[in-house]
Amino acid sequence: MAHPSTQPSGNALSAAFIVIAVPLIGAAFLRQFLLAEDWRLVLGLLALFAVVLVVLERLPALETRIETAFARQSRLALLVGIVVVLGFPFALGGNTYALHLCVISMLYAVLALALNFQLGSANIPNFATGASYGIGAYASALLALNFGVSFWLALPAAAVVATIFGFLLGIPSMRTRDSYLALVTIAFGVVVHQLLNNLDFTGGPNGLVGIPVPELFGHAFSDPLVVFGHALPPQANFYYLSALLVFISIVFAERLHDSRVGLAWNALRADELAARCQGINVTWYKVLAFAVDAFLAGFAGTIYAFYVGFISPDNFTFLVSVTIMTMVIAGGMDNILGVIVGAFLLTLLPEKLRAFSDYRILFFGVTVILFLMIRPQGLFPQRLRRYGD
Amino acid sequence: MSELFFQQVVNWITLGSIYALIAVGFSLLFGVLNIIHFSHGDVSLLAPFFALSVISALGSVLGDAGSFPVFLLGLVVAIAVTGCVGVLLDLVVIQRFRKAPAMMALVATVALGIVLRELIRHLFPNGSNPHAFPRLVDGDIVLAGFPVPLFSLAVVAVSTLSVGALFFMLNNTRLGLHIKAVSQDRDAARLMAISPGRIFRATFFVASAIGAVGGLFFSSYAGMARFDFSIDVGLIGFSAAVVGGLGSMPGAIIGSLMIAGLDTLVQAVVPNGASYRLVFVFLLVICVLVFRPSGLLGRTLVEKV
Repeated sequence: MAHPSTQPSGNALSAAFIVIAVPLIGAAFLRQFLLAEDWRLVLGLLALFAVVLVVLERLPALETRIETAFARQSRLALLVGIVVVLGFPFALGGNTYALHLCVISMLYAVLALALNFQLGSANIPNFATGASYGIGAYASALLALNFGVSFWLALPAAAVVATIFGFLLGIPSMRTRDSYLALVTIAFGVVVHQLLNNLDFTGGPNGLVGIPVPELFGHAFSDPLVVFGHALPPQANFYYLSALLVFISIVFAERLHDSRVGLAWNALRADELAARCQGINVTWYKVLAFAVDAFLAGFAGTIYAFYVGFISPDNFTFLVSVTIMTMVIAGGMDNILGVIVGAFLLTLLPEKLRAFSDYRILFFGVTVILFLMIRPQGLFPQRLRRYGD
Repeated sequence: MSELFFQQVVNWITLGSIYALIAVGFSLLFGVLNIIHFSHGDVSLLAPFFALSVISALGSVLGDAGSFPVFLLGLVVAIAVTGCVGVLLDLVVIQRFRKAPAMMALVATVALGIVLRELIRHLFPNGSNPHAFPRLVDGDIVLAGFPVPLFSLAVVAVSTLSVGALFFMLNNTRLGLHIKAVSQDRDAARLMAISPGRIFRATFFVASAIGAVGGLFFSSYAGMARFDFSIDVGLIGFSAAVVGGLGSMPGAIIGSLMIAGLDTLVQAVVPNGASYRLVFVFLLVICVLVFRPSGLLGRTLVEKV
């Protein structure tokens, strides 16, 4: 206690440094990974990522240091995060494919965050997130194609439709548990996929084509985005839109996590019977988890439909739901950062493994299994709730 | 009773027997290991590919691929090899998830199913395309005035025999008693000098081998072997086991017959039924689970205080 005043300010400075450096390093890494063409470079970067993870696991002090830095400088962290996300498209140097991958990754991040309310917070298996995603996409696309509804109106409308279906799915799920519940959600997903595939008004296996491009204040989203005289490819429009959705989802997730609802979900996960004894309405919170999941998935589906302009039932299969499940488990259940990293990793991995062309699904499967075997707790394991600091 | 109706009934029983062979494996594995082995359907449908390889290999050695003994030998080898594949998967992957949360094992085995399907696609010559698979037996027999395909009779007979043998094994043999002991209480069984690891491997072998019989019948029924058959068949077998109540063998059989019955009925009655069959099947699954949350014959899961 020789210099009581210098110690905290020195800490604050280094904390500020950490808070600025870590997101920048992360963004630089993501940029290199996105732009890497050679598969050797891709594997090298993945190895580097693994090394960083191992180092973090071996040095818990470093991890706590970074964590406390972010907790202390949360305003600065938010600012740095926003700047990095806003500036990221400029760093990609007009590479449309990399930007496209970013958009898709962020949509999956939203889906993974949506599923995280169930699987992560409440330990309710749900293999139907892909179906909710599809319901959102089809609802908004049908509204736009048949009734000329604009994107901005279709967005909430599709979310409402998806939420209604989420409630519907929640009802048979009230009494079932574990594997039985998993089967109910699988069955729901298969039914939705088969109906989309066979009904006439959804276009059958051919899907829906020609979904109009959204506009905002006269700026069509198919036009390049010009910022300060610097033209970004058209994908940048959707990049910022999905980044906004991710941001809203994170806020949503954090607020829910800190609320009574999040606490009730965690109680459900720990012991359903004990939760019931504490006066928690188990049924309601379970159904609510389904509804929240479907709500966010509906948003993601709408953006996907208007971004790609073409949807077919094969975009929303059981495999998509399994992939989203894997993102949550591999990233780290009930850990927002982990889930987002998991979503990016599992979206980018198959794309970056294109060098293995036909074998990439095989590689994907093997990676998932290895991941679950080697690091079953996920990239970033769930943290204990902290109060009062 | 019209001939068409009779044919549909025969169809129903045949399909139900095939599904039951696969569903029983799901149920057995869950009963003993307490995990869902989601790739069980994929394992089962490896068998037709093994059989085709063995038959063509034997054919090139003996110069006579079409003869019945060669065919039969191919089937037997395929069943044995598929059983061993089940054991191998347990040794390499599934046993690491014994103590993990149930969902972890479920997702891992889903991924395992993907890997198995992709392996067939890449390792089997021309694996992406369907391969013709012969009918086990041809010809009809007249029964109560109606022609019944011998194939259907063979399927029903072999399925009844296999499942009967499984029941006998579980209830009357030393291995069966050991399996039951391990499924009831792993630690108590260990104290009785039963090695759970050995029992798990034995269970995997038995379940995969019976599944292989189902897989062979299914390919024979469809007239071809495809690498992606297992997606639907595995899902239906799993559903049948869950509808019947996981861990209950009679439940798995009842579930299979129900699902096969609805499947046949929809295809016969509903216009354009073939494309809507999965919709009806899975709506049935949801309905059953709404009213019986742990399956028809499953143990109840709700704790009462």
